[in-house]
Amino acid sequence: MKRFLLGAVVVGVAVAVEVLWPGHALYHYGSYNVALAALVVVVPIWGRRYAGRANGVRARTAVLAVVLGTVATGIAGVANGLFAPDDRTYVGAPGEHVRVEGLGTLVFPLASQAAALPEVALERPLRPPLQVGTRARNAGSFILRATPRSAVYVEARDAAGDRLTITQPQGAVFLSPVLLMQHQQKIEGMDLPFDSFNIPAAHRIVRAIMFTPAQAALLARAATAPGEGAVLFVVDDESDRPVPHGIALSAGGRPVSVGGLVLRGTLASYPQVDVLAAPNLIAVAIGSLLIVAGLAGTLLSQEPRTKSPNSQLGT
Amino acid sequence: MQRYIGWAVVALAAIVAAFVAEPYVVSQSPATSGPAALAGRQAPVFPLQDDLGRSVSLDRYRGSIVVMNLWASWCPPCRAEMPDLQQLAKANAHRGVAVVGVNEGESPQKARAFADALQIRFPIWLDSNERYGLIYAALGLPTTVIVDRRGIVMRGFDGPLTLEQMRAAVADAMRSD
Repeated sequence: MKRFLLGAVVVGVAVAVEVLWPGHALYHYGSYNVALAALVVVVPIWGRRYAGRANGVRARTAVLAVVLGTVATGIAGVANGLFAPDDRTYVGAPGEHVRVEGLGTLVFPLASQAAALPEVALERPLRPPLQVGTRARNAGSFILRATPRSAVYVEARDAAGDRLTITQPQGAVFLSPVLLMQHQQKIEGMDLPFDSFNIPAAHRIVRAIMFTPAQAALLARAATAPGEGAVLFVVDDESDRPVPHGIALSAGGRPVSVGGLVLRGTLASYPQVDVLAAPNLIAVAIGSLLIVAGLAGTLLSQEPRTKSPNSQLGT
Repeated sequence: MQRYIGWAVVALAAIVAAFVAEPYVVSQSPATSGPAALAGRQAPVFPLQDDLGRSVSLDRYRGSIVVMNLWASWCPPCRAEMPDLQQLAKANAHRGVAVVGVNEGESPQKARAFADALQIRFPIWLDSNERYGLIYAALGLPTTVIVDRRGIVMRGFDGPLTLEQMRAAVADAMRSD
C-alpha cells in the first residue's frame, strides 16, 4: 500500500511543482520524464493489487480515484516535458499584434509613460482576452507573465522646430517612435543596447545607443544628473555616411541638436511577455483533486488496527 | 465493477488527452500582417487633433463609411494619391462616405501647407505619436483603411491606390450594408 500511495503523491507533487514554478530545464530532461512516465504506469498496477486486497466498495473507489488522478496529472506532466514548445520571450512594439503558436495573439499596449508596467492582452479564439501583467497568469498549457524591458521614446524635429515622422524600416513595426533596443554594442567595456530609426523627411538614419543611469554616470562629459539615463544619437545620411556634428548625447530626456536635427530620447520601461510551457492546469487540477480525495478515502476506509493478544497481556 | 473501472480509465484518458493536446493541434487562421490583418475587427478609436487644433475621433463618423488614409508630406506616393482621394471624397460625400487623412508624425503647419498645396478639402488629422500607424499595422506609407458604417475594419491596403481601386473598395463597403 505504501509504495502505491507514495508513487501517487510523488507524481502529484512533481507535476504541481511544474505548474507553480514553471520554466525550469529539468522538466524537459529525458530521465525526469521517463521516471514520471514509469510512475504513471506502475501506480495503476500497484493500485490494482491494493484494490484486490481492499475491503468494500468505498475503499476500492478511493483507490480508483488515486489511480485516475495519478494518470491524469502524470500524462499532463509528461506531455509538457516531452512535447511542449521551448519557453520563449515575446517582444512587441506598442500596439503590435504578435501571434503565439497554439495560444493566440499578444496585443501590446500603446506607448505609455506611466510608472506602472502596462498589461499585455492575450486574445484567444473563442475565449475572453486575458490581461497579462507582472503576476503569472495561466492560459491552458502555458503560463504567461510580463516583465519590464528597456525602451527609448524618441522625438525628432527639424531646425525650425517642426515635428518629423520617425520610421523603423528594420523594426517590428514601420511607424513607431518607440525603440525596443534589441541589439547590443560594447563601448568601453559596457554592454549597451542600441536601435536605429529613419527620419525620411530629413533623409537621415539615426542610431540610438542607450545608457542606463549607472552607465551614464561613468561618462566623463555626459552632463547627466544622478539617476538620469542618456541616449547617444549618431546621425548618418541615407548612404550611411556620417554627417557633420552628427553625434550628441541626450541626457535625462532633454532635446539635443545633432546633425541639423533636434532629437530627444527618453528612457522608459515597456513589457515583454515570457511564455512558459506548463502542464495543463485543468488536467492537473482534476488529477490533484482525485489524488487528494482518493488518499483521504483510502486512509479513512482502513480498518483500525486491533491490538495483538501479546500487548493485551502486557508482555 | 472491473468493466466500469475500464471505461472510467478510458474516459479520463480521453479528457486528459484532449486538454493536453489542445495547444498542439488547435489550428489558427494563417498569419497575416499589415493593415489587411485588421479586417473584421472593430476599428480602434482614440482621439486626435485635426490641423485646426480641434479634437476629433473616428467615433464621430459612426454611420458613415470611412476611407482613412495615413500619409506624410515626405512620401511621394502619398502626394500622388491625394488628388484621387479628394475626388473620391467629393463624389461620395452625399452617399455617407467620409475621407479622412491622418498625417503621421508631422507638425500642423507642415500638414496644412501640404494639404493646401494640393487643394485637399477633406479633414486632416494629426497623429503626432504615430499611434494610428501602429494600431493599423502600417507597413509603409501610404496606408488606407476602409471602415464600414458599424465601425468595423473592412479592408486595409498597403501602398498607394488608384481611383478605380478606391471606388471599388467603397462600393464593396456599400454592398455589405
